[in-house]
Parts: sequence; C-alpha cells; structure tokens
Amino acid sequence: MAEQRTSTRSGPGVVLVAVYAVLALAATGRSVLQITEYFSRAPVAYLLSALAAVIYIVATVALARGSRTSWRVALAAIAIELVGVLVVGLLSYLLPEAFPDKTVWSHFGSGYGYVPLVLPVLGLWWLRRTRAAVDATV
Amino acid sequence: MRWGRRSRSADRLTGRERPPDNLCGVLYALTVAIFAASAALALAAAFYAWRDRLIDDRLLLVAAILELGVLVQAVVVLLSVGDVGGGGAEKATYAAYGLTLPFIPPAVALLAIKEKTRWAMGVIVAGAFAVAVMTGRLQQIWDLHG
Repeated sequence: MAEQRTSTRSGPGVVLVAVYAVLALAATGRSVLQITEYFSRAPVAYLLSALAAVIYIVATVALARGSRTSWRVALAAIAIELVGVLVVGLLSYLLPEAFPDKTVWSHFGSGYGYVPLVLPVLGLWWLRRTRAAVDATV
Repeated sequence: MRWGRRSRSADRLTGRERPPDNLCGVLYALTVAIFAASAALALAAAFYAWRDRLIDDRLLLVAAILELGVLVQAVVVLLSVGDVGGGGAEKATYAAYGLTLPFIPPAVALLAIKEKTRWAMGVIVAGAFAVAVMTGRLQQIWDLHG
C-alpha cells in the first residue's frame, strides 16, 4: 500500500481535501447566488467568483483522486488559484469600484479568514512533498 | 438550556400564538448546542490526534450528536426561512447553509475513517470548525431581521 501512503489524498493531504471541499462548497454557493440574483451589478467580479468556484472543485477532486495525472491537474488548479487570489486581492484594493460585492478572492480572502490566501501555498507545498512519491509509482 | 431572549415561561404562554418568537428561541438554543457539540468534537479529535488514536465509536457518537443538531437545525431553518429579513440573497444563503450543514459531519467522518494516520483527526477538526462557522453565519442572518 505504498502508493496509498504517499498519494496526495493521504496524511496531511486528507485535511487539505476537506478544507478544499468546504471552500469549494462556499465558493459555489456564493457564486450561484451572485449570478442568479444580481449578475448585472458586477459581471466581471461575479464571473471571477464562478471561476474560483470551478477551480476549487477541480482542486478538491484532483487532490482526492491522488493519481499521477490528477497530481498535474491539482498543480495547475492550485497555481491558477494562487495567481487568482493575488491578482483579485490586489485589484480589489486598487480598483474597489470593480468589486462592489465581495468574492472569495477579494481582499485576499479576508471574508474567509484569509484561508483562500493560505490554502494554495499549503497546496503547492503538499504537491511538492508528494511529487517524488507520485513519480515513483509509475 | 437557555431559550434566547425570551424566558421559558413566556414561551409557554405565548408559544402557540407566536411561532416566529418560538422558532427564534429554538434557533438560538440550537446554535448554542451546535457550538458546544462542535467544540467537543474538535477537542476530542485533537486529543485523539495527540494520543495517536484513530476514529472509534466514541468519537463517532460525538459526531452523531452534532449531526442530530444540524439535522434539527435544517428543519428549523426550512420552517423559518420565510421570516428571514433582507432580500432574496439572505433567504437563499440561510436556506443553503441550513441544508448543507447536515452533509458535513458524515463527509468528514467518512474521510477520517478511510485515513489511517493521525491526520484523520485534522479532518474532524476542520469539519467541526466549518460547522461552527456556518452555524454562526446562520444565526447572524437570522438576527438581521430584528
């Protein structure tokens, strides 16, 4: 069961999967609400919100699968997530009028206890830790 | 157990005629109970992690008590969603949180059962924390209406 032990879903990875799942849920809920209730108020911000939700879902599933391909998918998703939270976080301070309503990533995720900012860093660290193991299984 | 801002006898006297007040008290009591249960679950899981123990029936029982709390809360939320103030967004969030919460304890329990290291307890702690935060949000949305 060496593969099980070292895949992205075991050990600390299982906690990451759980936190990602909760955030995916929160982001999806908020984004569905924003788009159905008041999309015209800030289409760009709300589309970014939806993108964030999709990325969280992809990252959750990819980390939970723990195969070699899903490791790469997780890397892509989490890298986009990190860039997203940094860019949207910065823009929400520089151009507040473009973000009249909060999204998961605005203000570096302050509405979610900065979890959206910390999570991709932890995620990338975890992927780095598991890379050797994932490569070795093939 | 406390019954919100209203005393228990007042609730008994007016309970039937004033369902919103009654529900308000029930929701508050549930919030307190769920906070207590999720704190108990998180503390127990932290203790298990410290002792390097895996999930067992005793910990599952605590999770089941929490699950019972969020299930009752889901029913109360459905009954009271019409009385939530604010716009449709608040109502939708209120209902969504109430209905999502019952899925969290079983999901983290399953993840924790499958994981055979002490990290399993980390999942339980994260789940308990999420339940507490979402329950707090529910109460916040409810309190908006006055």
